[in-house]
Amino acid sequence: MVDLLYTELLKLKRAKMFLVSIIGAAAAPLMIFIGYLDRKAKVPDEPVQFADAFTETNLYVVLLIGTLLYGVITAYLFHREYAEDTLKNLLTIPVPRIRLMVSKLLLLFLWMLMLTLFSWSLVLLLGLLAGYEGLSIGVVTDSIQQFLIGGALLFLMTTPTMFVTLLFKNYVPTIIFTAAITMGNVALANSEYRVLFPWSIPHVIATGSFVSQYPAYYSYISIIAVSLLGFAVSAIYFKRADVG
Amino acid sequence: MSTVIKTTGLTKSYGDYKAVDSLDLNVGLGQIYGFLGQNGAGKTTTIRMLLGLIKPTSGDIELFGDSLRGKQKELLKRIGSIVEFSGFYENLTARENLMINARLMGVHKASALSEALEIVGLHQETKKLVGNYSLGMKQRLGIARAILHHPELLILDEPTNGLDPVGIKEIRRLIRSLADERKMTILISSHILSEVEQLADQVGILHQGRLLEEISLAELMKRNRTYMEFQVSNENKAALLLEQQFGIADYEVRGDGSLRIYSHLGQQGNLNRVFVQEGLEVTKMAISGETLEDYFVRLIGGGTIG
Repeated sequence: MVDLLYTELLKLKRAKMFLVSIIGAAAAPLMIFIGYLDRKAKVPDEPVQFADAFTETNLYVVLLIGTLLYGVITAYLFHREYAEDTLKNLLTIPVPRIRLMVSKLLLLFLWMLMLTLFSWSLVLLLGLLAGYEGLSIGVVTDSIQQFLIGGALLFLMTTPTMFVTLLFKNYVPTIIFTAAITMGNVALANSEYRVLFPWSIPHVIATGSFVSQYPAYYSYISIIAVSLLGFAVSAIYFKRADVG
Repeated sequence: MSTVIKTTGLTKSYGDYKAVDSLDLNVGLGQIYGFLGQNGAGKTTTIRMLLGLIKPTSGDIELFGDSLRGKQKELLKRIGSIVEFSGFYENLTARENLMINARLMGVHKASALSEALEIVGLHQETKKLVGNYSLGMKQRLGIARAILHHPELLILDEPTNGLDPVGIKEIRRLIRSLADERKMTILISSHILSEVEQLADQVGILHQGRLLEEISLAELMKRNRTYMEFQVSNENKAALLLEQQFGIADYEVRGDGSLRIYSHLGQQGNLNRVFVQEGLEVTKMAISGETLEDYFVRLIGGGTIG
């Protein structure tokens, strides 16, 4: 597995997608920052709080940009072996198909972790530059915890995206799929059903914003079931699929 | 001679369409086996089944005397392959691409990469990214990747596809040297007759998923260089006489009274006498040669090859 992970990392050397993902991960902190600059210009006396900046950025990352960005990264990692016609080489080495899949998921997890920490760091940096207020150890630890929990749970939700990529072997259905999910997140953001929709649950769990109508374990069961199902159908399909 | 590849009744169906139909293939140790057929004949499908990339609908595959089922991992480690065009990570150099295979195959010897690149003449392209390689360079790199771990069997699917004549010659030289110097058994598929003719010891001819013939090149050349040609007044009656009186089945009615007979060479006198006795007018009788290309076209029932 170490060798597989090493080779997955090597494949990213000079890959433009890496830079693109950094730009994508910077989008949410920059959008929030620009919003605060605008507010500051209109209401100069009202200070911007670090806690608010972290919370709002995490909301955008987990419900909007992250879903799309991590979906595209998932598609890139799995689809490039088809697009660059390298899968048949790997499978005739031979690399066991499930181990190949797991190594890519591991890399995806590390990549998402890195982007999550990058987003958090960018909020901190922009906040320091712009003079946000209320920075404390508590705010730092709480916000990092929220970002990491949100990122980790978003990772769990990449398995259905992986399945769509493996099934269609094309970026377009994956992008449509993640766009539809993002629309779902937006539609349910203020509804109590957000605690049941697997892709909006990461934000619910990260911020502890459960609703009284549904017990918390509904959310945990929903996200774990969809994640495991996504992994299982991907594994079965990938193991059995002919490589043309 | 022991058998390196043996397939029995190997079949791959897609619905009602049989891409490969009851294939019995035998590749002996140390041979260069030319797997010849038109585009769409089923060569790549067969090779993909041999490499475990697609699952046969029915039939068995034995590699090195062991069934591929259950031993795929061990058996594939003894094989190097190129399936159609070689795919590479274009953002990496040749060495980095080979490094991926080396790590995953457990090839830890640092010199292995340099050695493989040197064999294919790419050892000086240290900085160039594979995305900037020509097709010929990529095919050579594909061979370097296939031989990196010193396989006993090399399976090359159309390795000269898309190459210019110089590139084709270079790849051919490379394949010949691997067989001669490294004693590898090589299965090379091609739709180009001249390529197979110049490389192979044994030839398997595939058409519409079926193996029409498996024969040594020497035997093929010997058998198909000569035939008797008759020009008669009624070719259908002549054909009937050939079958009934001489038991000849290996002949061809070419129309306009012309017949080609591929067996019973040397009996043209007897044939001529019987034709005349049965009232046929014989206006031409000749011993002629057939090119290998003519033979293949005849074998596959028309169309073109190469």
